[in-house]
Amino acid sequence: MVKIVLTPEWFVGKDIMIELFSLIVLIIFVALAYKYYRVNRNRKILYLGVGFGLIALAQLATILTKLPLYYDFGPARQIGEAIVTSQLANSVDFFYYIGFFFHRFLTLLGFYMIYRLPRERKSIGDYMAVLYFILISSFLSREIFYIFHLTVLFILILTVEKYVRIYKENHLFNTKILIMAFSLLALSQLIFVLSNIDIVFAAANTIELIGYSIFLALIIRILKHGKKKKPYGDNIRYAGNSAG
Amino acid sequence: MEIISDMLAIVQGKNGTIKPTHLMYKANLSHSQMKAYLDELIEKGMIKKDDIKTGTMIAITPSGRDFLFKYNQMREFERTFGL
Repeated sequence: MVKIVLTPEWFVGKDIMIELFSLIVLIIFVALAYKYYRVNRNRKILYLGVGFGLIALAQLATILTKLPLYYDFGPARQIGEAIVTSQLANSVDFFYYIGFFFHRFLTLLGFYMIYRLPRERKSIGDYMAVLYFILISSFLSREIFYIFHLTVLFILILTVEKYVRIYKENHLFNTKILIMAFSLLALSQLIFVLSNIDIVFAAANTIELIGYSIFLALIIRILKHGKKKKPYGDNIRYAGNSAG
Repeated sequence: MEIISDMLAIVQGKNGTIKPTHLMYKANLSHSQMKAYLDELIEKGMIKKDDIKTGTMIAITPSGRDFLFKYNQMREFERTFGL
């Protein structure tokens, strides 16, 4: 097997399972965001969903790229052959290059979108500058793999800091869970920097899995919240009259 | 949206039915506001008016319960992410 990815041989397949799990959790977030956007047309919810959607696409890109690399049979082989024999690519390397490039680019873009919410609007020039730096980081990470992980780490630290500020305002346990999940994702990125060592790579993946599991727990808590009986809703206008 | 969800929550909190005057006081609405919101909720099929011997009662419909369920989830989602 060509050493294109840093996955240790004994961990091959397990990393795809973790990415598949992350993909499912992210898709649930996208579906929820769209469902709630339809209730009140709050665009911030939609943008949050787009952010999670971009990370989901990034996970899908890496899964589809790794499958032909790991498994030389069935649909995986067909995907590999289709790419290699197409007019677009004349080498296997190009396929992997594109696949992993999209993984890096979409991950960075998705996490940046989540970080940006719910701030005030920026000018198009500001967004273009960020997009440029994300593109540069995605390109450079091919040669220097840890640039990607350091960039994601940087965005995630800013995201955690943002949610800590939000938690100080709302004191909501769910926000605390969110902070925990993003912190674990940030920690996994820090460990990924050292992923040349087999066991460290596996540890980073495992921490990432725990991070996404916490996201799933958060989804379950939000879904259960709808069942809670709130006799006066969120009524801040309620005068406290319990008669009747 | 918030007023509508509050009205539905109040009705649901009273086992699904409430007198219009009680709803008006609990939702802290004026008579004209109450009428406008009630008309909208009835039009959307979220509540219905039941005429009984002692007067009119407001009742939440399955569609209203479903909306309230989704709304509560959505608010929790918004609050969690500070949106």
